Amino acid sequence: MHRAHRRLLIPAAVAASIALAFTGCTASNFGGDNGGGGDATEEGPIKIGAVLDITGVGANLGVPEQNTLNMLAEQLNEEGGINGREVELIIEDNQSTEDGAARATTQLIENDEVDLIIGASRTGPSLAMRPLVEAAQVPTISVAANAAIVDGSEWVFKTAQNDVVVIERILDHAEEQGYTKVALARDATGFGEGIAELITELGAERGITLTATEAFEPSATDFTAQMTNLRAADADFVIIWGITPSAGLAQAAYVQIGVGKPVYQSHGVANDAFFEAAGDAAEGVIAPMGRLLVADQLGDDDPQKEVIDRFIADYTEAYDTPPSSFAGHAYDAWKIGVAAIEEAGTDPEALRDAIEATSDFVGISGVFTMTPENHSGLTADALIMAIAEGGRWNLLEE
Amino acid sequence: MTLLDTTEGAIRSKTGFWPNNRATIIGVAVLIVIILIVPFTASSSMMNIAVFSMIFALPAIGLSLLMGLAGQVSLGQAAFFAIGAYTHAILLQKFEMPGVVAAIGGGVAAMLAALLVGLPMLRPRGHYLALATLGLGFIVMIAVREWEFTGRTTGIYGFGRPEVFGIPIDNNGLFFWFVAPFVIIGLVLALNLTRSRAGRALSAVNDSELAAESVGVNTYSLRVKVFTLSAGFAGLGGVFYAYQVQIVSPQVAEFHVSVELLLMVVIGGLGSVWGAIAGAFIVELLSEGLRDLIPAIIPGATGEVQLIGYGIVLILVILLLPGGLVQVVRTVWAAIRGRAGRRADAAAARAAAAADATGDVPTRAFGGLRARAGDADADADADAVIEADAATNAARTADLDDVALPTVSTPVPVGEPILEVRGLTKRYGGVVAVDDVTFTVPAGRIMGLIGPNGAGKTTCFNMITGAISPTSGTVSFLGEEIQGRKPHVGAVRGLTRTFQNLQVFSSTDVEGNVYMGRYRKGRAGILRGMLGLQGREQYAHERVAHDILAAMRLGDVASLPAGDLPFGRQRMMEVCRALALEPALLLLDEPMAGLSGHEREMLAALLRRLRDAGLTIVLVEHDVAQVMALADTVAVLDEGVLIAHGDPESVRNDPAVIVAYLGTDAEEAKAELEELEEHA
Amino acid sequence: MTDFLQLTAAGLSQGSVYALLAVGLIATYTVRHVVNIAQGDYATLAGLGSISLVSAGLPLPVAILIALVTVTLASVIIERLVISRVKNLTTLVSIILTLGVSTLLQAIMLLTWGAEARRLPAFPGSDLNLGGVSIRSQELWMLGALVVVGGGVLLFYEKTRWGKALRASAEQPVAARIVGISPAAASIIAFAIAGFVGAAAGVVSSPIYLSIWSGGLLLGLKGFVAAVLGGLYSFRAAIVGALLLGVLESYVAGYVASGWKDAVAFFILIIVLIIRPAGLVLRPNAVRV
Repeated sequence: MHRAHRRLLIPAAVAASIALAFTGCTASNFGGDNGGGGDATEEGPIKIGAVLDITGVGANLGVPEQNTLNMLAEQLNEEGGINGREVELIIEDNQSTEDGAARATTQLIENDEVDLIIGASRTGPSLAMRPLVEAAQVPTISVAANAAIVDGSEWVFKTAQNDVVVIERILDHAEEQGYTKVALARDATGFGEGIAELITELGAERGITLTATEAFEPSATDFTAQMTNLRAADADFVIIWGITPSAGLAQAAYVQIGVGKPVYQSHGVANDAFFEAAGDAAEGVIAPMGRLLVADQLGDDDPQKEVIDRFIADYTEAYDTPPSSFAGHAYDAWKIGVAAIEEAGTDPEALRDAIEATSDFVGISGVFTMTPENHSGLTADALIMAIAEGGRWNLLEE
Repeated sequence: MTLLDTTEGAIRSKTGFWPNNRATIIGVAVLIVIILIVPFTASSSMMNIAVFSMIFALPAIGLSLLMGLAGQVSLGQAAFFAIGAYTHAILLQKFEMPGVVAAIGGGVAAMLAALLVGLPMLRPRGHYLALATLGLGFIVMIAVREWEFTGRTTGIYGFGRPEVFGIPIDNNGLFFWFVAPFVIIGLVLALNLTRSRAGRALSAVNDSELAAESVGVNTYSLRVKVFTLSAGFAGLGGVFYAYQVQIVSPQVAEFHVSVELLLMVVIGGLGSVWGAIAGAFIVELLSEGLRDLIPAIIPGATGEVQLIGYGIVLILVILLLPGGLVQVVRTVWAAIRGRAGRRADAAAARAAAAADATGDVPTRAFGGLRARAGDADADADADAVIEADAATNAARTADLDDVALPTVSTPVPVGEPILEVRGLTKRYGGVVAVDDVTFTVPAGRIMGLIGPNGAGKTTCFNMITGAISPTSGTVSFLGEEIQGRKPHVGAVRGLTRTFQNLQVFSSTDVEGNVYMGRYRKGRAGILRGMLGLQGREQYAHERVAHDILAAMRLGDVASLPAGDLPFGRQRMMEVCRALALEPALLLLDEPMAGLSGHEREMLAALLRRLRDAGLTIVLVEHDVAQVMALADTVAVLDEGVLIAHGDPESVRNDPAVIVAYLGTDAEEAKAELEELEEHA
Repeated sequence: MTDFLQLTAAGLSQGSVYALLAVGLIATYTVRHVVNIAQGDYATLAGLGSISLVSAGLPLPVAILIALVTVTLASVIIERLVISRVKNLTTLVSIILTLGVSTLLQAIMLLTWGAEARRLPAFPGSDLNLGGVSIRSQELWMLGALVVVGGGVLLFYEKTRWGKALRASAEQPVAARIVGISPAAASIIAFAIAGFVGAAAGVVSSPIYLSIWSGGLLLGLKGFVAAVLGGLYSFRAAIVGALLLGVLESYVAGYVASGWKDAVAFFILIIVLIIRPAGLVLRPNAVRV
C-alpha cells in the first residue's frame, strides 16, 4: 500500500496550498442582509465605490477622475464627512475593459456593499455596469458620454455632456459655415456606437448628409486605411469622434495623409493629452466641450466661473497639473452624489429620488437639472466651442 | 481491492466512475472539505480569487489533458473559453433559453469549433496545432469584436446570474459552491480518462507512436477526440465565467488569457490533472498578489504588471522545474521515503506510477523536459531491477515448452494465402530501396525474409505493416489492401509486429506494455473511459496480459518499468505484447538479435508451437542459420530485388543467393555458407 | 485608383516590417528549430529604447545605433541565459519558453516606459505626393531598411560560406562544424541576426506605427505568418509573403473594415497550415529518412 501513500501527495499539496491561502479570514461571503444591494443602515461610514478606466486605453480619462475623487473625498472627510458620518471611497480599476468593469461592480455591490457607485469612465464599461446596478438597485453616476447609458434607466445617471448635444453643436457650427456633407471616423467602442445614426438624424434637420463612416479601435496606432477612405469621401468637413490618445493619433494621420478638410472632434479630446498625441496636426481642430479648459477666457459673468476656478486651483495644488474635462465629470458626479446623500441618507430609493431632484446644480461641465425622465441633466448650453491653437484649447470666437 | 487480490496479487484495476483507489478518494474528499469551508473563512478578496480559480480550473484541466495525453499544446484555449461564454450568453440573452440548455450549448459550441480546427491540424505531428490555435485565438477575438450579433466591443450583458432550486446564486460564496461540483466531476472524469483504455493508449503513443499504432491505436482519431474534449472543458469554464461576470466581452478571448491557462498547466506539471487545479489557484493568487506588490515596489507602475511574474515563472519552471509542482511533490516525497531506506519499494512504487492516481502522463512531445525530470530516480530503479533479476534467475532458465499458449486467431485455413504482396516498390529520390517485390504468405506457416545488409528487408517490412508508404504496389492482408495506410489499420485486423530497435512504452510497466497489446480487443472509447464504465473490460484485459506474462516467465517483473528490463527480456516482452493482440499474422523484425543462445532456443521453440497452433509468422532475420532451421519458406532480398523464394532447402542451394552473400563480403559469405552446411 | 495605390503603398511599408521580423524568425528557426515568439518584442524594445535616448538629447542616428546594438546583445543574452539551457529543445517547448521570454520583455517595457504608445521622431526627408498618393518619407525609410538589412542578411546566407553552413546547421550540424562554427556559436549568430533585424524593424517603424509595450507580440506573429509562407526556410519567399500580407491587410482595412485587419494574417496561417503545412515553397533536400 506504499503506492497509495504516494498518491496522497498531490491532492495533499493542493489542499495545503489552498488552505494556506485562506487562513485567518472571517468575512461573510454570502452577500448582504438585503439581498446584495446597498446597505441601508444609517451607521458606520458611508461607502462610495468608483469604477474607473485607470489603466488601458481609457487611462487619459480615468486617472484624472481618480485624482479628483481622492481629492474630494479627503476634503469632505476633513470637513467632517456627511452629516457626521465618514465617507469611505473605494476605487476599482476596470483596466478599460467591459468585463473588468462588471467584475469590479460585482465586487463593490456584493462585498463592499457600497451606497453609491461612480463610473465608469467610458461608455462601454458603463453599459456593462448598467444591468448589474439596476438589478442590485444601487444608485450609480457614470462619467461617460453616450446617451445610451441613461436611456430609460432607473438607477443610472451621468454627468458628461450627452453625445446628442455635442453633435448638435458641431452640426450647428458646420451649418453656419455652409457645409453640407460630412465624413466620420469614430471610435469603434461604445463611445462611438450610434454616432453615425445620430449624425444622419440630426444632420437631416440642417441639410447635412453623412457620406462616409470609418471606425478605429481606441488601441489603434495605424490609421492609414481609415484616413485614405476619408480622403476619398465626398465631404466638406470631417468629424473624428474618439478619446485620446487614439483620436489624437488619428488627427496626426489625417494630416499626414493629406485629407485637407476642416476637422471637428468630440469632447473626448478635452485634455492636454490630445496635443501630445496629435502634435502640430492638432492646430485648427474645433471641438465642443465644457468650460473647464478655457476657464481663463470666460467672462466674469459666467455662472460656472467661480466653481471652475476653485476646482482648477484645488486640483493644481494637489497634483501639480491642471485638470482635464474628465476630472470635471468626476467632480460633478461626486458633488451631485454627496449632496443627495446629505439630503436623503443612504436608503437606495430615497437616494435615487434625491439625485433625480437635483436642480440648477452648478458644476464643472454645466448646470445640471435632473428629473426622473432625464438622468443626464445638461443642455446644449453646457458646451462651448473650442479651437486648438498653439498647443492648447481656446474659446472659439463666434 | 479484495476482489482483485488473487494469488498473484499483482493485478490492479482502477475503474468505476468514482475513484476506487484510496489516494484519489482521500484527495477528492480533502478537496470537497476545503470547498465547503472556504466560503466561511476566506476574506472577500480571497473569495473572489477562489471563485475565478475554480472557473479557470476547468479550461486548465482540459489543456492539461491535451498536453499530457495528446502531446499537443493549444495556444488558443481562450478561444474555446470565449466561444463557450459567448454561446451561453447569447442563448440566455437573445433566445431566452433555460440556463441548463444554454450551458450545454456553450460546451458543445466550443467542441464543434475544436473539431473544425482539430480535424485538419492534428494530422501532421508537431507544432501545427499550437500555431493554428494561436491563430484561432486572434480570429475569435476579432470576430466577436466586429460582429453585431456578439455585441461588438461591448459584448453581451444583462442576462443575470443563475438560480438553483429557486435560490439565486448572487454572491461569491454561493457561486463558489455552484461551480465546485462541476470542477470535481471534471476532475474525476479527467482522472478516469487518464487511466482508461484510451488514456493509456495515448500515453503509449507519446512513448512510441509506431509501436502504439502497431497494436491498433488510431492515434489521429484519439488526438482529435482529446482536443475536442479539452475544448469542451474550456467551453464549460466560459459558461461559468459568463455567469459570474455577467458580461461577455472580447477580452475573454484575448491572448493573455490563453497564456494564463498555459501557465496554470505548466506550473502544475505537464499533463497532471491535479496539477492543473493547483496551477489555477497559484496563477490567480500570483496575479492578484503581483497587482498589489509591483506598484508598491515600483511607484507609478500601472496596468498588467502581473505579466512580469508570468514571464519569470514560465521561464523558470521550464528551465529549472520541467515537471512542475507535481515534480516538486514527488521529489520531496522521494526524499522522505529515501530516509526511510526502502529503495526497492521506491522502485516498485515508481513502476506503479504508470497512469496512477495523479493522472500524470509523461509526454514525449515535451521530450527534454520530462526525461530530465525522471533521471534522478533511474539509478535507484536499475539497482532494484538487478536485485529482482538475481532473485528470479531460476524462473528465467525454465523452458517454455510446457506453458499454455496465448490464443491466436486463425481467420483462414492453414495453407491458404493470408498476406499477398504484389509489385511492392519504394524509391527515395533516385534510389530504389525495394524493387517490384511479389510474394504470398500462406496461413499457419513461418516465412523467413533474409538478405545481406541494405537489401531492403526492413523497408519491405515497414511497407507491409504500414510504417511507410510504398511508391507503388499492393499489400493485401486477409484480402484487403492495406498499403499506404497507418499501421493501426492492419493491426485491428490482426497484423502486428515487433521491432528490431525495441519500441517499449517506457512510461508504464511491463504488464502495462502487454496490456496495450490487448488494445484491439477492447471497445471502450473516451466517453466510457471518463465515466468509468469499462471496468469489466479493462479488468479482463489486464488479466490476459498478466496470464501471458506469467506463461512467458515474465510474471516476476510484471510491475517493473519496462525500460529497466535487460535487453533480452524487453524483447520477450515485445513478443508478449504482440501475442496479446491474438494476432493472425505476426511480423518479427530480427527477433533473435541481442538474445543469448538459450533465449534464442526458447524463442524458436515458442514460435514453432505458435505456428502449430495456426499463427502465421514472418520474420526478418540476420541470423541465416536460425531462419533456415525455423522457417517453412524463405524469401531472399538483394539490393531491393527478390532473388529467391521457396523452401529452405532450395533457397540454400540457389546460386543467386550464394552469389548475393558472396558478393557483399567474401569472408562473411563464406562463413555464412559454412554455417549453412553445418546446419544441413 | 489613387486610394488603391495609397493603400498599396501603406501596405508595402507595413509589410517591410513583417518581412524583417520574418527574416529574424527564419534565422533562429533554421539553426535551432526555435519559433521565437519574442521576435516582435525586439522591435518594440528598440523603438522605445531609441525614443528614450532621443528625448535624453542624443542625436537620432546615435540613438538608433545604440538601440540596434543593445537589442542585438539582448537577443544573444536571451539565447545564452534561456534558450541554450534546455537540452533537446523541441519546437513545441521553444514556443512555450519564448512565450515566457516575450511576456517578461513586455512586462519590463511596461514598467520602464509605461502603458502609452510613444513615437520616435521621423527620420529626415520630406513627404512625397505622386499623383495624389501621399508617400511619407518614413515609409521609404522602412522599405529602404528592408532592402539594406534584409538584403544584407540574404547575401550573408546565400553567398558566404558561413552563411550557407549556418542555414543547413539545424539539419546537418556537421556542415557548420566543417567551416569552424560550433553549434553554440551558430545559435549565437542566429540570435544576433534575429535581434538586429528585429531592432531595425522597430526603429524604422516607430515614427509611423508608434511603439507600445504590448505591440510586439502581434507584430512578431505576423512576421511568423510570413515566415510560414516561406516554409520557415526561404528568406526570399518569406519577404515576398510579408509584403503581400502587408498589402492584403491594407486592402482589408480600406475596403472591408479596419477592425478585421489583424485577422488577415491568422486566416492565411490556418489556410496555409491546412493546404501546405510545409509552406508555399518546397525546400531543397527535403527528403526525410
